[in-house]
Amino acid sequence: MWRKIFKIVILLYLPLVGLTFILIHLQKKGQIEGLAQVEKRGAEYKKNYLSDLCYSLVYNTQYWCSIQYPVDFDPLDSHSEFISPFLETITGISDYDQFRFLDMNGKEFFRYERENREVMIVGELQDKSKRDYVKKGLALKKGEIYLSPINLNQENGIFERPFKPVIRGVGPIYNSLGEQIGIVVINFKMSRIFKLLKSRITDSDFYLVDSNLNIVTSNTRSLDLGYEIAELIDTGSETYTLDIAGLKSNKDTTFIENGSMWTLKKLDLRKMLDTEIAKYSRSFEVLTPTSWAIVQEISPKTLRAKFGLLYKNFAIFNFFGIIASILIAYGYVRSKMRRQQFYVQLKDKNTSLLEGKKQLELNNIQINEINERLQIRNKQLEEFNYVVSHNLRSPVTSMAVIVDMIKKENEPEKIKILIPKLDQISKSISNLTEDIKEYITILDQNEILIESIHIQDLIESIKNEFLETLLDGENFKVIYDLKGWDTIDFSKFYLKSILQNFMSNSIKYRRNDVKESHIIFESKFEEGKKVLYVKDNGLGINMEHHGKSIFKLYKRFHRNISGKGMGLFLIKSQLEALNAKISVESVEGEGTTFKIKF
Amino acid sequence: MKKANILLVDDDEIYIYLTKRLLNDISEEIAVSSFTDGEQAIDFIKACTSEKVELPDVILLDVNMPFLDGWGFLLEFKKLKSKLEDKVHIYLVTSSELDDDKKRAKDFEELTGYYVKPISEKDLIEILEEVYKDI
Repeated sequence: MWRKIFKIVILLYLPLVGLTFILIHLQKKGQIEGLAQVEKRGAEYKKNYLSDLCYSLVYNTQYWCSIQYPVDFDPLDSHSEFISPFLETITGISDYDQFRFLDMNGKEFFRYERENREVMIVGELQDKSKRDYVKKGLALKKGEIYLSPINLNQENGIFERPFKPVIRGVGPIYNSLGEQIGIVVINFKMSRIFKLLKSRITDSDFYLVDSNLNIVTSNTRSLDLGYEIAELIDTGSETYTLDIAGLKSNKDTTFIENGSMWTLKKLDLRKMLDTEIAKYSRSFEVLTPTSWAIVQEISPKTLRAKFGLLYKNFAIFNFFGIIASILIAYGYVRSKMRRQQFYVQLKDKNTSLLEGKKQLELNNIQINEINERLQIRNKQLEEFNYVVSHNLRSPVTSMAVIVDMIKKENEPEKIKILIPKLDQISKSISNLTEDIKEYITILDQNEILIESIHIQDLIESIKNEFLETLLDGENFKVIYDLKGWDTIDFSKFYLKSILQNFMSNSIKYRRNDVKESHIIFESKFEEGKKVLYVKDNGLGINMEHHGKSIFKLYKRFHRNISGKGMGLFLIKSQLEALNAKISVESVEGEGTTFKIKF
Repeated sequence: MKKANILLVDDDEIYIYLTKRLLNDISEEIAVSSFTDGEQAIDFIKACTSEKVELPDVILLDVNMPFLDGWGFLLEFKKLKSKLEDKVHIYLVTSSELDDDKKRAKDFEELTGYYVKPISEKDLIEILEEVYKDI
């Protein structure tokens, strides 16, 4: 039973689990798409934010380029008054870390650097002609602004500590004569901007990376621009380059790798700034080598947390699916077993009903047989009654009459005549009593020995008894046609007596006007029963006269041929004693056919 | 009154003897003839008819006889009836009191009466009175 249940559970559960996998996959895909949308929006937001900030830097730089500086501009000395009001403004802008003017040779001729949040001081002048941003700045044309990559600030070739990420805005400056006097370089502190960028909008981690996937800043790293100083300090287990294959194409994308979901949004700073400039209808151009990308990572842990409910629902659904499958399988198997049990019971009942029916039919057959026997018995009793009332009553009443006469008669002579009559009656009663005794013996025979009789052998033995007649020049033949059957279970004594009577009658009542007299014994099967036909071509019987009384006692049909009229009466009695039936067909002058149905 | 002419048909010779004696006791004038089976009786009637001999007025007929019993005689008599000039009164006299015989007897309109053996003198007088009153 449990094996069957297990099979059904498997059959039910397998499609179910397949379906749940498909559903969970679709749902997960939907959730990922949803998350990707959120991440994209987050990245877009940060991109716009960064774009705004960078524009502000560029615009600040452009502002300093738009001023007409005095001829022979010397802010430290002759033009200190000119510069003085600007310096107050510069100090107030906390993003300004350094504000410098460099001459056309790349040497600083004014340096204003931040001491702390509220104080900026004039710093010691340095030669920056070797620095890349200076070279780029000196090559600028009027109306062009250069925005450098973000670097950790270096002073005199050494990284300033604490490490300070800065971006430099560089632009050409001109005197009132329109002559370029140098460049203005503003170091903007990126710490505030980074801080703002690193603030979490979504559940994801944030990375700002350059085109080589070096991490500029991230809310997962303790240092900004760590890749610049990785050789100088021990960064521990932290790496400052994203080694994610999916990011290397450097195209906008969202994918899952190493269990994390990654989103990359590319930033083309120059294009972004052009858009901003156009937006504010400014007329300058920004040159910048910077190419950034915003990368957002949803960690495996966060993803698991996001999909947790999905998996939980999947587990619950499957749990109930298994339970339901087991219950359905159990119910089905039970009901099938009950049905089978019911069928078995039904079959048993049917069988017993059939047996009952058969028994009833058997009983019916037996009852019919008994009934038939009783009917035969009744007929035999009627026959007996007939014999007694016709054959016995007659002499008895005659005797009574004679006795009465004798009583009344006075003349001895007349009495003498009556006495021999009484003797005659007595003899006839005696003969009748003997015959009735023979009949009663047949009727009362309860245990008749039944044996298998070979019919032809029996006829042959009877034939031998009549051999004298048959060989006495008489043309009489005994013919067999025993193809139907040749043995019969019957009383040998009765059957012999019956066949003897038939043969005797056929010989006795043969015709003289035929070439050859015969008796034919023919065995057949009719309606499944054994039938024996006994035919002769003798005198025959007038059926109109005797049809109803052929088998009655003392019936004789042919004058001048001796006979007692007992033969056919005894044949019928003996056959009926063993449930066989006899019937006759005869045509006077042609012959007689007896049919015995066993 | 016409001289009575009676035919007895019975295979019981004692019965014939006794009945003849009873009839003789009633009247010596009664002519009584007899046959021991139906076949002889029918042959006799046929002969009477063909030879224009007077037929018996009364036939006392037994049922149970060899060769041709009472019933067979009645069937044959039925065939001859149309040829007969005089009416023949047939009485069935049988030792049987069985209902079957009585019922069967009713089927034959040739029968005038039915008596059970032994037939008494009184019965015979009754028959003679009935028959010869008509004649």
